[in-house]
Amino acid sequence: MNNTISPFWVIVNKEIADHLKSWRFLILLFILLLTCMGSLYSALHGFKTPIKSEDPNNAFFFLKLFTVSDGSLPSFAIFISFLGPLLGIGLGFDLINTEQNKGTLSRLLSQPIHRDCIINAKFLAALSVISILFFALSFLVMGFGLLYIGIPPTASEFWRVVFFDLVSILYVAFWLNLSILFSVCFTQPATSALSSIAIWLFFSIFYPMIIHLVAHATSPSEMATPHEIYHFQEFIMSLLQLSPSELFNEATTTLLMPSVRSLGPLTMQQVQGAIPGPLPLGQSILVAWPQLTGLIAATVICFALSYFLFMRREVRSR
Amino acid sequence: MQVKKILLLTVSLGLLSTFPTQASDSIPGTSGKVMLYSPYTRISVAPGATITYNIDLINKTKHSVNLPIRIVGLSSVWRHEMKAGGWSINQLAVLPGEKESFNLTVNVPLKVNKGSYRFGVRAGQTYLPLTLTITQKGTYQTELSTEQPNMQGNSKSDFRFNVKLKNQTADKQLYSLVSDAPIGWNVTFNVKGSQATSAQVEANAEENISVKMTPPANIEAGTYNIPVSASTGSTSAKLNLQVVVTGTFDMELTTPDGRLSNKITAGSKKKIELVIENTGSSLLNNIKLNSEKPEGWEITFDPQQVNILKAGEKTTVIATVKASRKAIPGDYIAKFEANTPEVNATAEFRIAVETSLLWGWVGVLIIVIVIGGVYYLFRKYGRR
Repeated sequence: MNNTISPFWVIVNKEIADHLKSWRFLILLFILLLTCMGSLYSALHGFKTPIKSEDPNNAFFFLKLFTVSDGSLPSFAIFISFLGPLLGIGLGFDLINTEQNKGTLSRLLSQPIHRDCIINAKFLAALSVISILFFALSFLVMGFGLLYIGIPPTASEFWRVVFFDLVSILYVAFWLNLSILFSVCFTQPATSALSSIAIWLFFSIFYPMIIHLVAHATSPSEMATPHEIYHFQEFIMSLLQLSPSELFNEATTTLLMPSVRSLGPLTMQQVQGAIPGPLPLGQSILVAWPQLTGLIAATVICFALSYFLFMRREVRSR
Repeated sequence: MQVKKILLLTVSLGLLSTFPTQASDSIPGTSGKVMLYSPYTRISVAPGATITYNIDLINKTKHSVNLPIRIVGLSSVWRHEMKAGGWSINQLAVLPGEKESFNLTVNVPLKVNKGSYRFGVRAGQTYLPLTLTITQKGTYQTELSTEQPNMQGNSKSDFRFNVKLKNQTADKQLYSLVSDAPIGWNVTFNVKGSQATSAQVEANAEENISVKMTPPANIEAGTYNIPVSASTGSTSAKLNLQVVVTGTFDMELTTPDGRLSNKITAGSKKKIELVIENTGSSLLNNIKLNSEKPEGWEITFDPQQVNILKAGEKTTVIATVKASRKAIPGDYIAKFEANTPEVNATAEFRIAVETSLLWGWVGVLIIVIVIGGVYYLFRKYGRR
């Protein structure tokens, strides 16, 4: 055992190789590269507009590479929140059911390996591909930005970008787990792909519309007390935060814009006496901590569900 | 002076005895026909004045006369000169039946006593007596004067005196300007708009000098006499200027190390050490401590009031700040104020609020529970 690689890592290596060779991955990579370059161009173009001196984010000039755009294209962070799910779904929707349909799953299971090795290894392989991809993309943006603007990032800016990458990976891992879950549930890959994409579309397009409707219907009258308005805002915020993309957006906003001090509605009492200024990294993470907790929990729950279902599944050879 | 004049008179009388040879130029017996004339024979002037007499020498004889003209009875201190036709003269010739004019300029010295001074002009045997009345006693000295020799102000202000330097000597003088101020005072002289240590004043002229005095920073209240003087080798003048410094009230509020920022966790308490320093020159009574704080915050002071703080002394006050439980992370401004009836001092504090880690740990707990569930699944269904 000491000299040979454990079967778990064999499967991980094989899966990574499979992903990298597949056309699907190449297409996704191409789309992501295009958007990454597009948003970088738009951010650099946006840099040409004069800086407003009172903006406390000016001290974090480098981070604007990820958040600023000239309006023609969304910024890098927004692109990731929109296209990241697609990457996760693309890598995960057929992991189990294709193997099962091809009959390779039972052959694999006949080998002397534990059954949970398979699903763990498949998840880890996809996750490592995503991680490598995201770190590569963000360092690419940093590198080109450095070439163009010539201002190196400070240590705090660098760590903020690293944390942004980690949060992005976590977010995509959620969608990956969701699609793995569907690929365990449904025998047809098309069904699992469609259902994953349906959920993705629902949360990124229809959910905000529904919330808007609800907010419109339940909005307090103009005569409402500030207390009521505050609670209404809190209610709408909590509804919005059911969507993973909203959680991701709030977390990345906090990480990439150090001047963001709170994500919920604020009362006048809280704002009074406060002066605008950037937060230290630790405080920014603490502000986004509830969102991060939600994302981590949702990801782990999806994984646990798919694990549970896969382990209970009866796998027969054809 | 009077004695001197009489002496001069006798000398001139003595000279008279030597005249006959020259007097012989005029024909004897007809000398009454040559006369000197000036309309103003008695003039009242002030010391230092210059008088110009217009004198005519009239020849009523039938011969031309050529007469020496001299001033009699005038001391050499009284500078005088006779001029005619642009020349300095002491002999004048007149055609018969004509008259010649000449000017006599007399400078009255500054150092002269009050009284009447008689002198005369003699041309041959003719004598024209003239009298000058000096209306006031003249001086031969420098005068340093000001209209307002006393000023009052607090220790932070400058004192400007306008001093008039009058040169009443006969010569142009270069005065060195000196003040005898106590240690720590800064005294500067301004002459003609620029700072200077000496001033040049023409004879019988005056110069306005502005004297600026800056008291030392930590001066005590009181009356200070500061003599200033203008002196040359031969003459000098002194003037006493008086400055009354009132006590100042000044107070500073800061921390022992001067740092005006601090960290606090939302909802928790923090003790901040404050230092009150009396930087004025008077005693401060009843220093009350107040604060201007964000809503929901609590700031208390221990002690709440400082009863007496002597000039130059410090005292320490502990401020306990309690941040609002709902404070958002980031910077807040809190203002501490120390008030007395006379003076206020404020210190603006930048307080960085940190989120309480409690909810962070709750989040960690949720994650740990979920991962624990997954671990349970691994153990149960891992089929190992």
